[in-house]
Amino acid sequence: MGKFVIRRLAQAVLVVIAATLLLFIGLFVLGDPFASTGDKTVPPETQAILRERFGMDKSLPMQYLTYLGNLFTGDLGVDFNQRRDVSDMIAQALPATARLALVAIILDVLIGVVAGIIAAVFRYSFWDVLVTILTTLAIGIPTFVIGIWLRQTVSGFWIFPGVPRSFTEVVPWYQEVLLPAITLAIVDAAFIARLMRGSMLEVLRTDYIRTARAKGLGERTVILKHAFRNSIIPVVTYVGISIGILLGGALITETLFQYNGVGFLLVKSINQNNNPVIMALVTFAVLIYVFLSMIVDILYAYLDPRIRLS
Amino acid sequence: MTTQPDPADLSAPAQAVLVESASDHPGPLPEDTGGKKGKNRSQFGDFWRRFKRNKLAMTGLVVVAIMVLLALVQPLISPYDPYDQNLLNALQPPNSDHWFGTDVLGRDLYSGMLYGLKLALIVGLATMVGSMTLGVVLGAIAGYRGGFSDGLVMRITDLFLAFPYLIGAILVVRTFGSGVFQIILALVILGWPTAARLMRGQILALRESEYVEAARSIGASDTRIVTRHILPNAIQPVFIYSFTGIGVAVVAMASLAYLGVGVPPDTPEWGRMINQGIEQVQVAGKDFLWMFPSGAICITTLAFAFVSDGLRDALDPKLR
Repeated sequence: MGKFVIRRLAQAVLVVIAATLLLFIGLFVLGDPFASTGDKTVPPETQAILRERFGMDKSLPMQYLTYLGNLFTGDLGVDFNQRRDVSDMIAQALPATARLALVAIILDVLIGVVAGIIAAVFRYSFWDVLVTILTTLAIGIPTFVIGIWLRQTVSGFWIFPGVPRSFTEVVPWYQEVLLPAITLAIVDAAFIARLMRGSMLEVLRTDYIRTARAKGLGERTVILKHAFRNSIIPVVTYVGISIGILLGGALITETLFQYNGVGFLLVKSINQNNNPVIMALVTFAVLIYVFLSMIVDILYAYLDPRIRLS
Repeated sequence: MTTQPDPADLSAPAQAVLVESASDHPGPLPEDTGGKKGKNRSQFGDFWRRFKRNKLAMTGLVVVAIMVLLALVQPLISPYDPYDQNLLNALQPPNSDHWFGTDVLGRDLYSGMLYGLKLALIVGLATMVGSMTLGVVLGAIAGYRGGFSDGLVMRITDLFLAFPYLIGAILVVRTFGSGVFQIILALVILGWPTAARLMRGQILALRESEYVEAARSIGASDTRIVTRHILPNAIQPVFIYSFTGIGVAVVAMASLAYLGVGVPPDTPEWGRMINQGIEQVQVAGKDFLWMFPSGAICITTLAFAFVSDGLRDALDPKLR
């Protein structure tokens, strides 16, 4: 087991380093953040000064090694636009994204689990068919489109703040987070409902449920106390994986609702050619993904010895 | 695997199914069944019968067929040039002249939607073909060869899968400049690792199977074993996945365009239209600007997803 963990860890480190190299090549070798683009002209002297200021006059391998070194010491540099500390920018955006992910997960687990249980318990009833239709639609319709529809129809009414709104309008975070969280939660809720329905149906066929019913327990106790605990396991695994996706991939949703999290920050940085911020945020997303998939692999190896040996 | 029932215990049609499911590859049937026309149940016939029963999948197939047809005849049925501006006629609601209205530059939205449909299908198909080809070839090499090639290909897929799909696509398009080809390139680069992994898993499972061992023992070459014996059996999941992949590519292109990455700004593309409709035009009552393109994206992805689900159910009844 120890050998497997070490090998997997080495693999993860290698992937992260290769990813930063790829990112560096894309952003600094093949692209030039200070070049004149379209309507923006940058005089050559200014470009030279900017390059020197950001250490881009050095050789490329040197620049990359410097970046890698700084990354390990936690120094992400300053951004190109307003010379703000990149770590500060991320520190400001991250709590908003974390809140969004948290609210989205609470929503999708609540909706998904309840819908899944109802569909399983009243199998082939009207409610089961309804859940099947809704989950099919929720999985099929892209989150992007759902976000557009919600933004254009619901935002600005009732407790949902309008999008876009003026900077002066102050909205408490729990109202601001609602619509993007619902948008993100819809797909996951559908997946969870399907998972829950499937595993609940399986558990309901087992002997210990029959025993519970045979000794005269009420149906409510049987389902909520006995069956629920065992059928929730696949949902827990799924939620664990989706946390990473939510933290790294709320790009479109945050941009649609102009929600100031890391996704929106990344989109803004990409439009401004703000390379230090792009480097930092994408590295962050890669780190989360690599870390989570490593944990999953190690957990599986721990549970199933056959994987360790292959 | 379930145990195979003894053919002698079954009725004639069931026997036919059993005999056919035991034959390895699709394609022309052995000649001895050719004489009995009408009772001849080809593998494709079986598949088609199962597919037809699935109403959702059939609806999806019909919608896909209509979309492909519309895209093919797009230049003939567009009432206006989708690029033609007419500022005096801007932001017209849908009417008899302009079925879907006009955009902020006075361009006919119905013509633009058709053009966008063609773009979406081209990008979706090209992405699918590109990433499937790359994925199948590399996945097959990795799975069959094992050892160093396997390690190399798998580490490369690890690397590309570590980037979130959309973020990776944006970075690639940004690096190579905007344009339809660049979008396809980006989506292929980000899409092939999934296909390669699927393929590799299939090959790994089949490599040690008895019929492959039999082929090897009569001296078949590696190339022949992979292309004639393993691929026909291993390709199914990749084939099914590829249809979902078309929908994913269509949404990805629209999302990129919405974020201002990808196609040039004046291209009549669904994501661009949505961006214009909800970000640039903030006038009440102009909802048709975003409704048509977002609806079109929704219908496209649903149609391909339904076809993909139908394929899965019809090709492999065990999975249901």
